[in-house]
Amino acid sequence: MLTTDELERYERQIIIEGFGEEGQERLKRAKVFVAGAGGLGSPVLIYLIAAGVGTVRIVDHDRVELSNLNRQVLHWDEDIGRRKIDSALEKLRRLNQGVKIEAIEEMITEVNVSQLIAGFDLIVDAMDNLPTRYILNKAALERNIPFFHGAVYGFEGRAMTIIPGQTACLRCLYRGVVPREKFPVIGVAPAVIGCIQATEVIKYIVGIGELLTDRLLIYDGLNLKFTEFKVKKDPNCEHCSHFASKE
Amino acid sequence: MSIKIDVSTFLHKYANGQQVVEVSGSTVGQCLNDLVKQFPSIKPGLFDKNGKLHSYIAIYVNGESTYPEELAKPVKDGDELHVIFLIGGG
Repeated sequence: MLTTDELERYERQIIIEGFGEEGQERLKRAKVFVAGAGGLGSPVLIYLIAAGVGTVRIVDHDRVELSNLNRQVLHWDEDIGRRKIDSALEKLRRLNQGVKIEAIEEMITEVNVSQLIAGFDLIVDAMDNLPTRYILNKAALERNIPFFHGAVYGFEGRAMTIIPGQTACLRCLYRGVVPREKFPVIGVAPAVIGCIQATEVIKYIVGIGELLTDRLLIYDGLNLKFTEFKVKKDPNCEHCSHFASKE
Repeated sequence: MSIKIDVSTFLHKYANGQQVVEVSGSTVGQCLNDLVKQFPSIKPGLFDKNGKLHSYIAIYVNGESTYPEELAKPVKDGDELHVIFLIGGG
């Protein structure tokens, strides 16, 4: 049940066709796990919390550095040296006091991932490296939790939504690894991709629109193009092929 | 036979700044070989020391994945190839 304040706060989205109070109540009941509070995590968290997702858990183990500030808009000059979870929590609580926000300082590993995501309905990939993305992809499949992938490089970005048992997973899409490196990035790239991820999360929870499943969306900011590529479930995928299809 | 290949923003510097290059061939492998013939310095960006496509590259033809037999995938006149690099930044 929405309160009078909530009805007023979310009025402009409640009046979207197909959204309604029922959609808002679904958002309020949802528990979203966001892996990373950096470039992608900033827009993802801002827009999910502004939209009224009921519970959000943020996991990040980094501290704010000066070189983060061109893109990680949750963190400001005064936050340099602070834990990102503290800096993010402070701003996000001021943004919307109606959302329950938990912040955990941890590096996500194969050992702790199950415990970290336990009890959450959705996982957002806002990481800055592929090995952790693969850990999250596998854990999401094992626990049957929808997984919302995003990644950026320079002016480019990628996004894809993964529904376990139904769609291609991150490992069907990517098989190799790239060396962990200082990657180039302009802040507007994660802003675009993070907003696409947040859009997908909201659509999934509310139950409207068409999800970005079995499709890799590539955003090319330099040429200002969005291109889609079809992604098929890999029958030999080492992450998802042993799970029964629900199609 | 004319096939267009989008070499991506990662490799266009090796193709005189062109992101889209016209190539010829009847398979993806032949098209990539023609690309290398035109721009030899692009080769290390596509293939490892053993001549295998880098594991962090995927080739799409008309928007569809060519995995797992990427280089053997047949192509025809008018097809569009894309070289997609795996990225991990966030």
